[in-house]
Order: sequence, then C-alpha cells, then structure tokens
Amino acid sequence: MADKEATVYIVDLGESMADCHNGRTESDLVFAMRYVWDKLSATVAANRKTWTVGVVGLNTDDTANPQDEQGLEGYEHISVLHELGPITRSSLKSLRSTIQPSRTHGGDAISAVVVATSMIEVFTKKLKYKRRIVLVTNGESPIDDESSDEVAARLNECNIELVVIGVDFDDPEYGFKEEDKSRAKRNNEETLRRLVEQCKDGVFGTMAQAVEELAVPRIKPVRPFKAYDGPLTLGDPDRYQSALAFHVERYFKTKRAAPPSASTVVSSSMDRPGPSQTQTLDGDLDTEDVEFSGVKQMRSYKVNDPDAPGGKRDVKFEDLAKGYQYGRTVVPFSESDFNVTKFDTKKSFSILGFVPWSSYREFLNMGETGLIVAQKHNEEAELGLSALINTLHELESYAVARYVQKDGVQPQILLLKPNPATEDSFECLYDVPLPFAEDVRTYQFPPLDKVLTVTGNVLKEHRLLPSKDLKEAMSNFVDAMDISDMDVDEHGNPVEYAPIDELYNPTIHRLNQAIRARAVDEEAPIDAPADILLRFSNPPQKLLDKAKAEIAALIDAAEVKKVPEKAQGWRGRKETVKPLSGLDIDALLSEKPRKTISSENAIPEFKQMLSTAADDATVESAAKQMGEIVRKLIRDSFADVLYPRAAENLRVMREELIALELPGLYNKYVAGLKKSILSGELDGDRREMWFRHVVAGRLGLITKDESEVSEVTAEEAKAFATSIN
Amino acid sequence: MAWSNDEDRRPDEDEAEEELDETDYKTQKDAVLFAIDVSPSMLQRPPPARDAGKKKGDDDSPIAAALKCAYQFMQQRIIAQPKDLMGILFFNTERSKFREEARSGSGYPHCYLFSDLDVPAAEDVKRLKALVEEGEDPDEALVPAKEKASMANVLFCANQIFTTNAPNFGSRRLFIITDNDNPHGGDKTAKSSAAVRAKDLYDLGVVIELFPIAQSDKKFDLSKFYDDVIYRDPATEAGSSDEVKTSRSGDGLSLLGSLLSNINSKQTPKRSYFSKLSFELAPNLTISVNGYMLLHRQTPARTCYVWLGGEQAQLAQSETVKLDSATRIVDTSEVKKAFKFGGDYIYFKPEELATLKNFGSKVLRLIGFKPRSKLPTWASVKKSTFIFPTEEAYVGSTRVFSALWQKLLDSDKVGIAWFVARANANPVMVAIVPSRGPGDDNDDNNDYDADGRPSGRVPYLPAGLWLVPLPFADDVREVELSAPHRPPDELTDKMHPIVKNLQLPKAMYNPLRYPNPSLQWHYKVLQAMALEEELPEQEEKDDATVPKHRQIDKRVGGYMAEWKDLLAQKARGLMQHRAVKREAEDEADAGAKPLAKRPKPAAPAGARLTNAQLKVAMEQDTLKKLTVAELREILASKGVSAVGKKADLVEKLEQWIEEHV
Repeated sequence: MADKEATVYIVDLGESMADCHNGRTESDLVFAMRYVWDKLSATVAANRKTWTVGVVGLNTDDTANPQDEQGLEGYEHISVLHELGPITRSSLKSLRSTIQPSRTHGGDAISAVVVATSMIEVFTKKLKYKRRIVLVTNGESPIDDESSDEVAARLNECNIELVVIGVDFDDPEYGFKEEDKSRAKRNNEETLRRLVEQCKDGVFGTMAQAVEELAVPRIKPVRPFKAYDGPLTLGDPDRYQSALAFHVERYFKTKRAAPPSASTVVSSSMDRPGPSQTQTLDGDLDTEDVEFSGVKQMRSYKVNDPDAPGGKRDVKFEDLAKGYQYGRTVVPFSESDFNVTKFDTKKSFSILGFVPWSSYREFLNMGETGLIVAQKHNEEAELGLSALINTLHELESYAVARYVQKDGVQPQILLLKPNPATEDSFECLYDVPLPFAEDVRTYQFPPLDKVLTVTGNVLKEHRLLPSKDLKEAMSNFVDAMDISDMDVDEHGNPVEYAPIDELYNPTIHRLNQAIRARAVDEEAPIDAPADILLRFSNPPQKLLDKAKAEIAALIDAAEVKKVPEKAQGWRGRKETVKPLSGLDIDALLSEKPRKTISSENAIPEFKQMLSTAADDATVESAAKQMGEIVRKLIRDSFADVLYPRAAENLRVMREELIALELPGLYNKYVAGLKKSILSGELDGDRREMWFRHVVAGRLGLITKDESEVSEVTAEEAKAFATSIN
Repeated sequence: MAWSNDEDRRPDEDEAEEELDETDYKTQKDAVLFAIDVSPSMLQRPPPARDAGKKKGDDDSPIAAALKCAYQFMQQRIIAQPKDLMGILFFNTERSKFREEARSGSGYPHCYLFSDLDVPAAEDVKRLKALVEEGEDPDEALVPAKEKASMANVLFCANQIFTTNAPNFGSRRLFIITDNDNPHGGDKTAKSSAAVRAKDLYDLGVVIELFPIAQSDKKFDLSKFYDDVIYRDPATEAGSSDEVKTSRSGDGLSLLGSLLSNINSKQTPKRSYFSKLSFELAPNLTISVNGYMLLHRQTPARTCYVWLGGEQAQLAQSETVKLDSATRIVDTSEVKKAFKFGGDYIYFKPEELATLKNFGSKVLRLIGFKPRSKLPTWASVKKSTFIFPTEEAYVGSTRVFSALWQKLLDSDKVGIAWFVARANANPVMVAIVPSRGPGDDNDDNNDYDADGRPSGRVPYLPAGLWLVPLPFADDVREVELSAPHRPPDELTDKMHPIVKNLQLPKAMYNPLRYPNPSLQWHYKVLQAMALEEELPEQEEKDDATVPKHRQIDKRVGGYMAEWKDLLAQKARGLMQHRAVKREAEDEADAGAKPLAKRPKPAAPAGARLTNAQLKVAMEQDTLKKLTVAELREILASKGVSAVGKKADLVEKLEQWIEEHV
C-alpha cells in the first residue's frame, strides 16, 4: 500500500519481437507491451513519489548501461531507457517513442537482470522498499546461463522479486504449450525458469495469461479506518451500577468506491497570449499536444435592489451572514446563534433493545456497513463482546443501538448483527444504519394479493391477480433459475454464481482502463467494456438452457402484452376520463362545442376544444388561438413573470398536437415564435423565454422520434434550438 | 413526513451528472391550496362531552380543526419542503376577497383568499397562528355568508390561483374541507356547471382531494355532489384503495386527530423515481414497473448566505465564474472535463465519455435467484428502491409481479438483477427482496406464516419488491483482525435473559417511533428564530433515540450485575493464563538466543510493543528512536492514519497513547 516500491521493467526489443506469432495479428512486442504499458500507466495514475520505476531495453541497437561503461563484457545491446525514479506521463510519452523493435539480437537477458539489480541496489540502498524486476521477452535471443547461480544469489540477498513473463512460454498450469518451439527458445525458457526457481521470490509465467488477467479489475486496497474507539453500553454506566460497557473498535466493512471524477479544465496552450520571441525559438511547441490546466471557481454574491441597474447589485462576502430559509423568509444565524442552538451530543454507543431476525429485511438498510470488534488486549471486552455475539446468534436476534461517532455529531440508529466468525473469519458485530421516522415516506399502494373495488368489495380473482397456473409457473421458474449452486468446483461442491467478490463496478473499471489506455496512447480508441464487467448483465446462457421449459411455461401463463408506444401514457386513457360518478362531462360539453379559447382558462379550454373538434379546421383554429395566447403572455410579461405560464401552455399545445399527429402545425408555430422572440417584436428582449423555457424545457421542434409523421430529425431540432438566427 | 424537493430530484450524488428523465422537465414541485368551507355548521362547536367515547378536549369546531390542520401542514412543509407552495381559500364567506387588485365587485363572490398560493413566509405562519390560536380575525373572514357560494365559482377561483401562481408545477392539489355533502341541493344547473369547472381543473392537471367532515352521526354522501367533481388520480392503478376518508369525532379519536391523519397521509404527493422501467424476467418476458424512494435520509437544509445591509434580511444569490491559472475569466464554452492522471490531465471528448458511461439501456434484468440466507449479512452500501408494477407499458405486469412477489415470500428467496435506473445511470447489481406489507388491521400479530416461518412483516411499508443494491467487490474493505471465534460458554448462557427481556415494543424496530433528534431540534430552533419566539432549551430536547436506562436497570439490572461479576472473574482468568503463556514464550525465546540480544524494553521493534511499553517509551522520550517504518506500523495497528513526517508520526503516537493507555 503505502510501502515504497522500486520496479525495473526489462523489455526485449530484439528484431524477432517485431514478428507476429501463433496467429496473433500484433507483433510480440505490441503484445508484451500491453502488459507493460498497463503496469506503467497504473503507476503513473497512482501519482506516488515513492513508487519508482525503471525501464531497461534488451537487444537495443545501442548500448547504454553503467556496466558496459565500466568496461565489463557481455553487456552489449542493453540500454537503460528510464532511470529508476518516479514516472510521469511525459516520461511515458517519451518511452513510447523509444520502445520500438531493433535490428539486433545480441543482448543477454541475464546481463540485463544484472543491470536492473544494480540499478535497484544503487537507488534503494538499505531502505525499506518493495523491490522487483520484471522481464518480458520472447526468449529468441541467446542467453549465457554461466552466471545464473550468482545472479540468483544476489537477487535473494537484495530481496528482489524476479518476474519473468515470456511470449509463448509454455505453462502447463495455465494450459499453454507452443507446439513448434525452436530449440533455442526451449533452452532459453529453461534457463530463465531455473533462474526464477532459484529466487526466494520469483514468478515465471506466459504472456497470454498476463494479458488476460489485465482485464480482471484491480481493486484499490484501502487501509482500515477506525471510526469509533470507545465503549458499547447497555444501560447507563454513569447512573446505574448494573450497566454493561465493553470497549469496542468500529471499522468500515463496506464503503462505496467512487468512479474517478472529471475535473473542469481549460486547454491553456491555445488561449494564452502568444509566447515571447525567445520562447518560440528554443521551445518546439507541439501544436497537437494540448495542455490542460485546472480551473478555479470564484463566487460573487448579489442581492435584489430595485434602484440598481438590472435590479441587482453586488455585495461583499464580508457583509454576509449565514442563515437558513424559512419559507420565503430568510433567517440569519450569527456565530453565537449557531453555538447556542447546536444539537449537543456526546460520543456514545448504546443499545436501545433487541429485535428478532424475522422483524428485519435487507431493504431497511440505509447505508454502508460497519464492523465492531473488542479493543485489543482487553480481556473483559473480548469475552463480553463474544458473549453478546453468541447470545444474539443463538437467540436469532439483532441489537438496535444509538451511535454518536464523536462529540457533537448527529446520532444514528444502527442495527447490530452477530457474526460468530461465519462470514469473515473472525468474530464481530456488523452494523447497518436504520431509518428515522422522517426518512420513511408514507405512500399508499394497493395490495398485491387482492383487489379492492370502489364499493369496498374484496376480489381474489381479477385480471390484476395471478391465476393458479401463473402462480405455479412462477414458482417453477424461480426454482429453476436458482443460481446458488449452479456451478460445481473441482471437488464437486456447489459454487454460488455471482458472489460479491466477483462483482466489479463496471463504471469504475471501464473508466480507469480507458484513462490508462489513453495516457499511453492519445489516439487510442474507446474499447468496448471488458467481458468480465458485463458478465452479470445477463443471465448465464447455461441457466437459460436449463430452465427453458419453465421459462416457456411462464411466458404462456403470464400472457403479457406490450402496449403500443402511441397508446401509452395519459393520452391513451384520455377518452375514458370520467369523475367517480361516471358522469359524461364530454357529452355535457359537446352540447355546445367550444369555438374560442380564453387566456384565463386556456389549457382546459384548449383541450376541450380539441376533444370535441370534428374537423382539422377546428384544430387549426384552436392551435392558432393558443399560439396567440402564448405570444400575448410573453409580450405582457413583466420581466420573466409570465414565462412559466406561457411555457406550460406551449407544453400542452405540443403534447396535444403530437397526440393528434399534427406535429407540423406545432413546428410551424414554434419556428415563428422563435423568430418573434429573437427579433424583439414581443416587447423587448425575450431571449430568456426561448433558452430557459423553450429550449431547456424541451419544447422545441417535434422530432421524428416523438411523432412518426414529423419530418424533423433530432439533429435538426437541436440545431434549431440552439442557433441564434 | 418531511422531504426536501431538491433531494428528490437528484436522488444520488453519483447520478448528479445524469440527464434528467422526461418526467423531470416539469418542475417537480408541489402546490397545495386549502379550500375551507365557512358555513354556520362548520363554525359550530360540538356540544360538551356527553358519552365516554369522546375524548376530553374534543371541543374543536370543524373550522377550528381544519385551520389547525392547515397550520400544522404549513409548519411542516415550510421547513421540510421549503420550495413548495401553499395557499388558503375560504368559501361561503360573507366577505369576498381575491388578490390585492380590487376587481370590480370581485369575480368570486363569497370566496375569501386568506393567503395566496406561494412559498409561505414567516408572516403567513404568524397570521395563521394568530387566527388559529388567538382567534384573531381582524378582517372578519370567518363570517359565514347568508347565501351560499357557487361551487363552480369556487373551483374556477382555485383554477385561476393555480394557473397564475403555479403554472408549471408537477403536482397541484386542491384540498377541499367541508361538512356539506350537497351544496347545491336539487339545483341541476349549478351542479353541472360545477362538474364542468371540475373537469377544467382536471384538464389543467389539478387533483382535487376531498376531506369530508361528518357531523355527529350523519354520513357524508359523496354521490349527492362530489362524485361528479372528483377524479381518480391518473397515476394510480386500477384496484387502488385510494378512497376518500371521512373525518369525524368518536372512537376515541377527536375530529382534529382524525382530520390530521387524513391530511397527513396526503402530505407529500406520490412521486416516482423512475417510471415504466422494463423488468426483464427472462428473454421474451418483460413487465413494466415504477420505482419509488420510500426510504430516504432526510437532512437539514443547507445554510445560505444572508445580506443584512438592507432593511430586511435578504438572501444573497451566488454566482460563480471560472478562472484559469492566469486568473482570466473562462467562458463556459471553453471548459472541458478531464481526468487527473499522475499530475497530468487525460481528456475525452463528450461523446467518448458518453460511450464510456453507457452500459446499455435502462433496465432491470434478472439473472437468477438465491435463498435470502445467501446474502451476506454485511451486504449493504446504500438505501433501496421500492418497485411496483404498472400496466402502462405491458398489460399483465401486475399479475406477473404479484406471482413473483408471492413466490419470493413463500420460499424466502431473492432475485439477483442487473439494474440501470435511468439512461446513462451507473449500473448496479441488486437483490430483489419482497416486503409483505402492513397486512389487514385484524392480523396485527401475524409474525409467522402458515408454515411457521417468520413473516418479515414490516407494517410501516407497503407490499411490493425492493431493489437492494449489493456492494461491488470494490466497496468491500479488507479488515484484517484476529478475533478467533469463542465457543459459547457460561457467559453466553447468562446473557440470554438479558437479551430476551429487552425486546423493543412489538418485537421490531419501527422507525416511526424514532424521529431524528437532531433534525427535529434544527426545525424547532429555526421556527423559533423565524417567528421571533423564545428559543427552546437544550434540556427540552425530545430524543426518543436515547435508551430507556431506568427501564433497562429495572428489567434486567439483576441479571446484568450477576453477569458482570462473572465477566470480571473470567477476564482475570484469561489474563493470568495469557501472562503465563507469554512468560513461557519469552523463556523459550531466551533459551534460543543469547541473553544479551534481548531487546531493551524501550526499543523493541514495531507493533509488538505493548501499550504499556509504549507508555514507558513515551515517558522516557524514546519514541523518536523508532524508525519511520516502525512508527507507521504501530500507528496502522492502532488504526491511526500514518501519514506525515517523522515528527508528526511521533506526535500522533503520543496523542494516541495519552488517550488510550
């Protein structure tokens, strides 16, 4: 975790690395570098000064290493490409240009390991470091194994882990064997394998496996955080002799990991005033290479002032007090008000009482889980908490407790669940937060197992209730689709499908992966999400095959029918709307069909006029009248006072004309309205009406997606909404 | 209950960047207009209590009860739903009043707009309070008219109030409180014009909620008039129990209590979190569901900045501008989103970001079932979402949903599903867990089903299914601790009676009994400050979450005292046992190594130092002789952050020792 690390990557750049093998369409080098780039970019992303990295090229055309410079033999064609030290994105970029296949094969892999070893020795001295050398090669260039015992001894002495990952190396455990392997490669593989085996810490593997494992998300380890360290009480020890108190420690068991969040930046190289002459001369500005820099926020505060131009004026931050809103009234709170009115709490953790397991369901959880253990080296706490855990488990009970993390913090109600070392391998209590009274919304829902009629009768058979057949089909379906023992392991024991340790957060890992890829290569396209991230987005095919009959039976019994898009929503039901009595108001209204729409009661009258309209001419007339009302509202509006009302009228008009499949009528109107607004003919500057209400309220042109008969595409509608002419 | 609207629209931080759903573009705010009948019978106080059934103090006239309800409603919503509107309209009043602009002979005779539809201000609360508590009615608003108002006119008056003051609100509701079930008698014309005005309101999107008051033994007969006026809420499904409840006094409940409970059940309009979501049970079997946030952590509103320079305290509106490194003001069009990467930024085009966030369309897709017992007990990260079927996208959804619900309850199983709540929402894995619902009033104690399994009845929540988000592997903290399991022993046995005797009422945690103490306190203080009343005393805090210590002592004090003695005795035993063992080990160590090599007491390495040794080291000021690595190790083992320079680490360790040893 926070340990210091020194890792040297030795990358084989020999000419044979440029070839493609075993049906791959990428060269050995590109293939191997997938692994190395991923590791390097992960290091860059961590942005830790203490995570140091070096890169050594093997089989390079040139030679650049201290051993060779000292005149030692056998160190040709080995180059230090990146000295051991922190790595940044710019070094990543420069490495990208240096890591190219060479035209040579004269370098010796074991010599490269020696170069790397001394790099680490020099850099880390005797300090506490995690030391590692990673060698990636295809093993085609000759290796001199004379000194391998010596090298292994030195690695062990320095506590260096040696990782050798070979392109197309055989790995029976992983199940890979290269059939037509050259003798030279076989020998080299053997030499390297022996070297690794001699090391205290060594890994020998094949590249295919390493690349495959890249897709397995890596989870960022987090140091345990102690949220509470103090007594857990039953009763009040200050007032009652009988009260119990155990000294406990509370840690987090779950904590939501957040995806990386984007920062707001500006591309700075473009907008800065042009660099001075000298800079232009010596700095070769790469125009492609856009620099980003962070953005600061500056707040200013305004209050209403009828006398100021625009009705508002700036006030200084120093002149502001804090406060709360009480309806329309603002209530200032001075510093002392805050102090006096603060809800005073003392750090505490006390049990309210106990409840049976059966009274609890998982959906009552309001947040993350905690974990409670006894204080270390405290025998009383150890024994006491253990007895509580055992008792709760035996009595199938949970404890409910009030928890105040520290002085002055809001109390929480926690449910304490016993874990007698069954889930984590140690004894503890888990806790989850429960809701308060204010957190429960009391919405009414009809019952699911019966239908109540308006007259108060109870029906047990109804189209909304499942028939006996459906219930049976559902029961069979649920049982057939059980995934708690879908697979078996090598010992024949059932294995649960989709356990939590296999559920990776797709958002986090996809984003991280894409960021790493782009850090290495700015041109990198966005890959499709890795299969492992979508593994649980669909039921496993195996299960579907197994449950085929049950699924078919359920579909038969369910008789579910999709409602055609057009008939969905409120429009579809419009015809049948009647008050409780069933009185036919429409009939009442159609006795005298409406011809005009008033501004005061525009929406109901518009709707009613449309519903009794016998011909298109009436619809057009209604739309025209409504349109005039909207224009008038905008024109008459003092500042923005009437805009919401105009927008609402517009919304109803739009909705109704979509329902009547007359989008053209609306589109023509709204185009005209835009022109009127932007030209200022509706009494002044009404642009806010257009952008804040029409565009932001999605009241622009009706598109094909919304109404089949429309000729406007989504792009056209967007362009229309945002253009200012 | 109390809900803040902002929270409602943005249910989750991580979803803040998401595009809003179609249903969201209309402002999801609620406007409620109370229309209260001011007839002579409404003003009449009930005769003094005659029979035992009536509670003492139930001497509110219907109008007083209605006003008290409106007052409480206003008090609650002004704090909990600070952006929502409320207004009060009296009808059948002698005086007529509508807004300030004096209309020529008021368009709405016998309608009196007491407070216009708006976000209430402290003055509105005070004025209503004066009317309710002191009977202060300077304008004589509560004088009944000699002739009745036309209901058509009342409804149109409400229509105009909504049209002008809340034109684009997602929820607009007219609460009618009256004791007259037949305002127009046999006057057919008046009745049908009221029906037409009611249809207007329906077309406008205003929902009429009727709160009838029945006087003494009379029945409030809806069919006489109100059945022509009230529409079923278009959002509720057929078969709903959404009936009109009549308030009356009797059965131990005062008229006020009865009316309050009826009105409170309509405090918040039912809002869905998502609607018509496809629930794919299997390939080719999809039903539609709506989602609701029935459980949601309520927190006090954020503070705002107030400008005190003027006559009245005024809210200061903040504006932000963005500055680049050269403190130049940056236009929003220049701003880009990029990810920090090792001191550098990685940029994606907006469309690339959209691709990265896209994991397919919004859906709830079942991948299988497990017994509920397979869910780890610690599998909790955030609140759950309630789902309920809707027939709107798939006919037959309700019966399939009901069958699934029944089966999951019967077999105590849960579904496991892939869930994307909205377009571009982050996908999560959820467990689908059934809730049994409140059940019938008569089987209160139905804790077990026919097979003797626990019923899991959660009476304060409706029947349906819940989407319980499962933690991802990324969300699970590895905590390495050594606390080996101890088999149950005498201490366990002796603890049984303590736990058994301290069950919470009705053997469950009912959240409705536990208001959030800090939130309630905040509300109280804020109201007192706003109305310039006396501040409540800290001692007056109502805190239902504080354990009942006296009761605990009374019920199990004896058991606990006995148990404590046993614990002390066992702990001493364990301590001695460990001391002996440690000595033996030390001797073994000493045997293996020459004595001279034994570390000095003040400076042995790392976390092996006991707390006592640490204390000694601190007193001798030898902590700084430890290496940084050793200090880190010790601090980490104590759960203290081990970040900083050596001096900081030493300081942190000293602080820890002072506090804990």
